Amino acid sequence: MSGEPILEVKGLQVEIPVDGAVLRPVRGVDLHVFRGETVAVVGESGCGKSLTALAIMGLLPRAARYTCDRITLNGESLANVSARRWRQLRGDRIAMIFQDPMTALDPCYRIGDQMREILQQHRRISKQDARERSLELLRKVGIPSPEERLSQFPHQLSGGLRQRVMIAMALLCEPELIIADEPTTALDVTIQSQILRLLQDIQRDTGIGLILITHDLGVVAGMADRIVVMYGGEVVEVGACDDVLSRPLHPYTEGLMRSIPVPGQTKRGELLGFIPGIVPRQTGERTRCGFIDRCPYAAEVCAAGPVPLSAGENGHEVRCAVPAQRRDPQAWNRLTEAS
Amino acid sequence: MTDDVLIMQGVTREYAVGGPFAKKKILKALRGIDLTVSRGQTLGLVGESGCGKSTLAKILLGVEEPTAGSVLVDGRPISSYDRLERAKLIQPVFQDPYSSLNPRMTVEAIIASPLEVRGEGTRASRRKRVEELAAEVGLPRHLVDAYPSQLSGGQRQRVAIARALIGEPKILICDEPTSALDVSVQSQILNLLHRLKQELNLTMILISHNLAVVHHLADEVAVMYLGQIVERGPSEDIFERPHHPYTDALLRAVLTPRPGSRLPDLGLQAEFPSPLNPPPGCVFHPRCPYALADCSRLEPSSTGGQRVHRCHHPLNMVDISMSTAATR
Amino acid sequence: MTVAADSAVPAIDRSMSPGRVALRRALRHGSFWVGGSILLAITIVAVLAPVLTHYDPAAQNLTQRFLPPIWAEKGSWDHILGTDNLGRDYLARLLYGARISLVIGLFTVLISGLIGTTLGVAAGYWGGWVDLVINFVVTIRLTLPVVLVALVVVALVGSSLSLMIIVIGLLLWDRFAIVVRSATQQVAQREYIISARAIGSSTARILIKEVLPNITGPLIVVASIEFAHAILLEAALSFLGLGVQPPEVSWGLMVAEAKAQLLFRPWMVAIPGAALVALIFAINLVGDAIRDVTTPEGRA
Repeated sequence: MSGEPILEVKGLQVEIPVDGAVLRPVRGVDLHVFRGETVAVVGESGCGKSLTALAIMGLLPRAARYTCDRITLNGESLANVSARRWRQLRGDRIAMIFQDPMTALDPCYRIGDQMREILQQHRRISKQDARERSLELLRKVGIPSPEERLSQFPHQLSGGLRQRVMIAMALLCEPELIIADEPTTALDVTIQSQILRLLQDIQRDTGIGLILITHDLGVVAGMADRIVVMYGGEVVEVGACDDVLSRPLHPYTEGLMRSIPVPGQTKRGELLGFIPGIVPRQTGERTRCGFIDRCPYAAEVCAAGPVPLSAGENGHEVRCAVPAQRRDPQAWNRLTEAS
Repeated sequence: MTDDVLIMQGVTREYAVGGPFAKKKILKALRGIDLTVSRGQTLGLVGESGCGKSTLAKILLGVEEPTAGSVLVDGRPISSYDRLERAKLIQPVFQDPYSSLNPRMTVEAIIASPLEVRGEGTRASRRKRVEELAAEVGLPRHLVDAYPSQLSGGQRQRVAIARALIGEPKILICDEPTSALDVSVQSQILNLLHRLKQELNLTMILISHNLAVVHHLADEVAVMYLGQIVERGPSEDIFERPHHPYTDALLRAVLTPRPGSRLPDLGLQAEFPSPLNPPPGCVFHPRCPYALADCSRLEPSSTGGQRVHRCHHPLNMVDISMSTAATR
Repeated sequence: MTVAADSAVPAIDRSMSPGRVALRRALRHGSFWVGGSILLAITIVAVLAPVLTHYDPAAQNLTQRFLPPIWAEKGSWDHILGTDNLGRDYLARLLYGARISLVIGLFTVLISGLIGTTLGVAAGYWGGWVDLVINFVVTIRLTLPVVLVALVVVALVGSSLSLMIIVIGLLLWDRFAIVVRSATQQVAQREYIISARAIGSSTARILIKEVLPNITGPLIVVASIEFAHAILLEAALSFLGLGVQPPEVSWGLMVAEAKAQLLFRPWMVAIPGAALVALIFAINLVGDAIRDVTTPEGRA
C-alpha cells in the first residue's frame, strides 16, 4: 500500500439529460487506490457509486456525459481513450465484477469458451494454454471439479459458483485494478463470507487494487483499508476504515451506523436509529449542503453555500459545515423520539 | 396461558418436477414442519435460498396447498376457511416494494382493496379508513392520491403494510420486508413494524435471511435448512447458545460494522445441495464442519419442547448428562 | 437554483397516472404526430365524405366515362380525380372507400382482439393444461393459410361486409393470443397478483382489475398491427373479387377495377394504392410510437 496510486480520479462529474432537466448523479468525486489496497465506496441507492465505477471503466450509458480534472490508471489517462484502447484495457489492466451473477455471464456460451475469449482477446495464447490458465484460475477461486465446469453453461452453476467464475474471469489477465460492484448482495449470507474471503486472499497474494462498492457497512468493516462514503453524488466522508467506523464524522455516516441492528449491541425491541426523509433528486447546482433536509445538526451555516471537503488528521476528511464541538449530542435521540 | 393462533404439524410440500414426457423427480420443498405461534408473538423464520421459507409463506397465504400435514389457524384447519375468511385472518407484506403494488392503481385504491373486495363500507368510509392507516404507518397524507411510481421504496413498503393491516388480520406474514430497501430506510420500516406489533398486539411471522433483523424483532426464531426446521427457540437463547452448527454458521456470518472486525471463517464445505437431491442422513452433513460418521447415515429427529434442534451432535449443550454433547 | 428535495412536496400531481405519462411521452414522439395526423385526416375525411362530395360513389354515368383528373389536360374541377370505367366520380369512391377500410379494421380488431385476449390471458394466467390446449389451438390456427381460408369461406357462403368482418376477425386473433399470453405470464408473477389473492380477490376481479390494465401496452401495439393487417386482407380479398361487392366501394375493389387500365391510365391504380399505403404507414407509425412509450417504467 505505497508509492504511486494505481488509479487516480479527480473531480469526476456525470450528467444525464432527462425529460428536459439535467441530472447530476455524480458531482466532483475524488478517488484514488494504491497497490494492494481495498477502497470501499459506500452509499445507498442514488448516491452515484455505481455510476462512478462505470465512468472509470468507460461504461457509462450512452445518454450520460462525464467530465473530470484527472483520471489515470497507472499514469495513463483514461479521459479520452479510444474505443479500441478501451477494449485493450478492459479485462486486461482493469476488470469489473458485477452484482448479479445470474445475468453477468452470457447464458449461451460455456464457461470455458467465455474464459478463453477473454484470454485470446488480450494475449497471444493457444487454445491449450488458455484452457490451462482457465483451470488454474478456477482452482484458485475454489471451484470444485474445474474441468467439468469449463464445459458447463452458466445456468448449471449456483449463484455462489457463478460469482466465483466471475472473479476468476476478472483475474485471467492479471489486472492491476478490480472494481467489484456489490459482489455479494445477491448471494446468500453463508456464501457471502466465502466470496469475500476469497477476494481478500487473492488481493493479498497478487497485490491488486480493489474498489469494493457496497451499501453494507458490515462488509466494509471486514474488508476495507479505506472508506469513501457517498451521498447525493458527492463524497461526504473519506478515511481509514477503522477511523471512519469508530469515529464517523459525517452525520450521514453516523446515521447509517446507528440504523444497523447489531445482535449483542442493540437491545432487542429498542427502536433503531434512522435517517428521516428520502434521498432527493439531483438536479441543478449545489447552493447548500446536500444533506441538510435530513440532518439532525442542521444549522444556518449549512444553507449558506455548498460545503467543501475539509481535511483532517490521518487523511480523514469530511464534508460538513458543523464541526464536532458544535453538535448537539442529543440530536439523534431527539429525532428518534419525535417519530 | 398462551393462545395459539397458528399450529402447523408435519407440514410437507412436494412438487413433481419434469415436463409431461420426462421422468418425474420429486422436489421436497418442505418436510415435516412443526410450528406454533401464539397470539401477539413474533416468530422469525431464518434461512437461505432453497430452505423452503417462501413455500411456507405461500401455504399460509393459501396460494399453495400442503401435500401432507395440517395447518390450524384459530383452531380450524386453514382449508376450511373460504377465500374471504382467510383474507381476514392472514395478510402478507412482500419483499419487493416495486412489484408488490399494482402500478395502475392509486395508493388509496391499493390500501382500500381488502375492504373493497369484501364489499365493506362505502367509498367514503373506506377513504377515511385509508387515511387512518396512512397516518398509522407514517405515510404522508398527500401521497394517498399518488401512484406507486411516485413513491420511494420505503414509502411503497408502508403502503404494503397499510394494505395488509386495514382488514385487521390476525396474522401478518412479512417476507423479507426490508431486504430490498436501503439501509437507512430499513430501520424506519423495522421501527414501524415494532411499533405496530406493540400497539395492535399483532401476531407476526417475520421471514428473513438477515439474522440481525430477526433477532431485533422476533420473540422466537426458527432456523430452516433444505425444507426442515433445524433449530427453534426463544430469540435470545438461539443467539447466545445456538445448538445447530448451521445456526452457528449463520450467526457468525453476520457482518457487523465494528472497527477491527475480520471476515469470519465459517468452515462450511461445499455448496448448497439441491432440494431435488437432498443428502442422505442429516441434510446439513456435507457442509457441516463438525460432521461425524453417523451424520451421513442417520437422519436426526427433532427434539421436542420449547427448544428444538435436529442434530446428532448439537453444540453448546450445557446439560452434561447428555452423552452426545459437544461444546464450542 | 437549489437542489430540490422532493420529499417535501405537498401537492401531488394527479397527472402522473401511468396512462397519462405514456400519453405525454407519445405526444413528444415524432412518429406519433406524423402517423397520428395522417390517421386522423383519413378518419375525418371518411366521416365527412357526404359533406365533402355531393357525388354518389355508386352513381354511374356512362356518358362521363374515363374523365381525366384535374392535373391532366382536359381535367376539370367537376371531377377532381376524374371518373372510372362506369363514369363514377373517383374522388367520391376514394372517400367512401376510406369508410370501408376503417370500419373493417376497427371491427375485426375488436373481434379478434376479444378472442385473442381471452385465450391469451387464460393461457398466461392458469398455465398447465389450459396453456397446453390453447397453444395447440393457436398452432392449428397458424397452420391455416389465412387468405385461402378467407377465400374459400367467402366463395362458399357469399360475401357481405358483415360476413367479411366476422371471417377476418375469426382468423386474425393469433398474434393477440401469443402476445397477451406472454404479457400475462410476466404480470402473473408479480407480487401484487399474489397480494390480490391474499386479500381474497376473486379470479375474475384479479383478471379484470389487476392483469388487464397492466397488459394494455403490448395489447395496443398488437391491435395496431392487426388493424393494418385486416385492412390489407380486405383489400386483397376485394381485389380478387371475393370481398366487398358493388355497389359498395373499397380501395381494393378500385384497384381491381382499374387493373386493366394500368398502362393507359396509371393514376387509377395509383390513387387507391397510395391511399392504402398512406393508411398502413400511418397505423404502423402510431403503433411504433406506442410501443416505444409503453416500455416498462424504470424504478423510481
